[in-house]
Amino acid sequence: MNTEKILEVKDLVVEFRTERGVVKAVNGVNFEVHKGKTLGIVGESGSGKSVSALAIMGLIPNPPGRVASGQILYRGKSLVNIDPSEMRKIRGNKIAMIFQEPMTSLNPVFTIGNQIEEVIELHQPHLSASERAAKAVDMLRLVGIPSPEKRVKEYPHQLSGGMRQRVMIAIALSCEPDILIADEPTTALDVTIQAQILELMNKLQKELGMGIILITHDLGVVAETCDHVAVMYCGQIVESADVETLFNHPSHPYTKGLMDSIPDFDSTSGHKKERLQTIEGMVPSLFNLPTGCNFQDRCSKVTEACRGMNGDPTLKPAKGDDHFVACFNPLENI
Amino acid sequence: MNLYAYILRRLLYVIPVLLGVCLVIFVLFNLVAPDPAFILLGKHATHQQIAELHHELGMDKPFIAQYFDTVKTAFTFDFGYSWASKQNIWQMIKAGAGPSLSVTGPLFVISNIFAISLALLVAFYRGKLIDKFVLVLSIAGMSIPSLAVVLFGQWFFAYKLGLFEISGYENGFPNFIPYVILPVILYVFISFGGDTRFYRTVILDEAYQDYVRTARSKGLSELKVMFKHVLKNSMIPILTQIIIQIPYLILGLIFAESFFSIPGLGAMTINAINNSDFPVIKAMTILSAVAFILFGVITDVLYTVVDPRMKLK
Repeated sequence: MNTEKILEVKDLVVEFRTERGVVKAVNGVNFEVHKGKTLGIVGESGSGKSVSALAIMGLIPNPPGRVASGQILYRGKSLVNIDPSEMRKIRGNKIAMIFQEPMTSLNPVFTIGNQIEEVIELHQPHLSASERAAKAVDMLRLVGIPSPEKRVKEYPHQLSGGMRQRVMIAIALSCEPDILIADEPTTALDVTIQAQILELMNKLQKELGMGIILITHDLGVVAETCDHVAVMYCGQIVESADVETLFNHPSHPYTKGLMDSIPDFDSTSGHKKERLQTIEGMVPSLFNLPTGCNFQDRCSKVTEACRGMNGDPTLKPAKGDDHFVACFNPLENI
Repeated sequence: MNLYAYILRRLLYVIPVLLGVCLVIFVLFNLVAPDPAFILLGKHATHQQIAELHHELGMDKPFIAQYFDTVKTAFTFDFGYSWASKQNIWQMIKAGAGPSLSVTGPLFVISNIFAISLALLVAFYRGKLIDKFVLVLSIAGMSIPSLAVVLFGQWFFAYKLGLFEISGYENGFPNFIPYVILPVILYVFISFGGDTRFYRTVILDEAYQDYVRTARSKGLSELKVMFKHVLKNSMIPILTQIIIQIPYLILGLIFAESFFSIPGLGAMTINAINNSDFPVIKAMTILSAVAFILFGVITDVLYTVVDPRMKLK
């Protein structure tokens, strides 16, 4: 990729102290975000996607969590162990985040306008009160909310889920961030609204040129919006590639399994062609990970090599540019 | 529907509630309580004396008329005269309100500000050492019987150290100040434990909500997150807890005023109970019922101010 690299995560490890011991929710993760590009992070619940995002924002609840090692570099500046007041200048300003739960992510007792203006006031103190109010209306118009002049005076409970997520996007984008982290932004929304929100994010990315980290478990969303994809499993990235390579040549059996679990409909009749594929077995507990590959118990290609005699699998180059896979028996061309 | 119409409607609801309360009070005082003739005239009263007294007190009227007499006092606050002192009860209440308020007013303000600030502090540092320290202190405050606190305080601070007056009262500002400092301090100690625990729970309930994470993700400082976002959402239970205390401000601290010889409404009530001074007891009962009902309405109205989701209906 020849574009400007704005965020780099290197060997990130995030630990949580629990009653049952220390657990590594994110264990040695590497990825990069480029200007104007979208990085998709895909994985099942508990694979460490959201924790990685919160680590970038510096919002890991501490205690019990902490960034144990690794680096997060925003335009070369380390965000790990940064002074909290420095981080607050970046958070919401240069790096903004939207969350999965639009219904509860807005404060119920403040108006929409107040909640947008709050972030503008914080990061653009040179604007006057009337300029802030005007900007809040502009932001609502930008995210496609009808009659924004009226909506700024309303409270979150007067808006639908899709509208609230648009408000969240308006808040996140009001300081024109370099990076937008979207943690499952469409999961809680109706399918038609999902498409609208994704389209909106794509459109705004083109206009504002920000890098996006899109966290999702929906490969359909990835295919539509992402440039580069990282597949996470048990706190590690198991495969990383540009979106076309990943869909055309998935190398990790887990990635292949995820793709096979997408319902496959005949586009003309609408009937399901065959029984829905699933990945056998369960995600292992983070307290009790197997030695060797974490996916061994669910993998159809498993061999003795995967059981720990060769150590843990690490990301190695695979077929195609910028394609890496952590597997002892990667799938060849399909 | 606007706020004023809502307030008016809530005030209209007060009328049936008050009528019901009056019914209960009427049954308790006029039907269940012993005949006042036993108290007022003694054992050797003649039938004629008793009949005259009953006529004087309106007890020869039909029950329904007596009930409406009770209702009338609830709306006019014309409570009649004390049996013990023969004074006008409304005048007695007005005289007692000052000393009561001089203790309960500062106590109310100080204890709530203290408990809410402390709760915000420990909610902010939840799980840290200061949280645990305040927890131990709160439980101590809740567990030590209030009588022990009062006696120890009077003995140690007033008698041993001579810092304050042990008990007593002088009317008029600032003369009363030396007398009220000790009860205020001791009752702040007695009440802060439970209040702090309650406010801490309420605040922490909100501190883990999604919108708090959103507020942090904007880059707001923890102080702003706590005082703007969390506190306003915690206001409903906090307001309820605060406003429910206000009737006690007016009614006085029943026991504390006796311990500290403060001639307030609490002490007046205790005296009335000791002397079977039924008109005074009845007056205080009606007054407290009215106070609780009215402050209930005020609480409901304030809910709609702090929470836009509350519908005005």
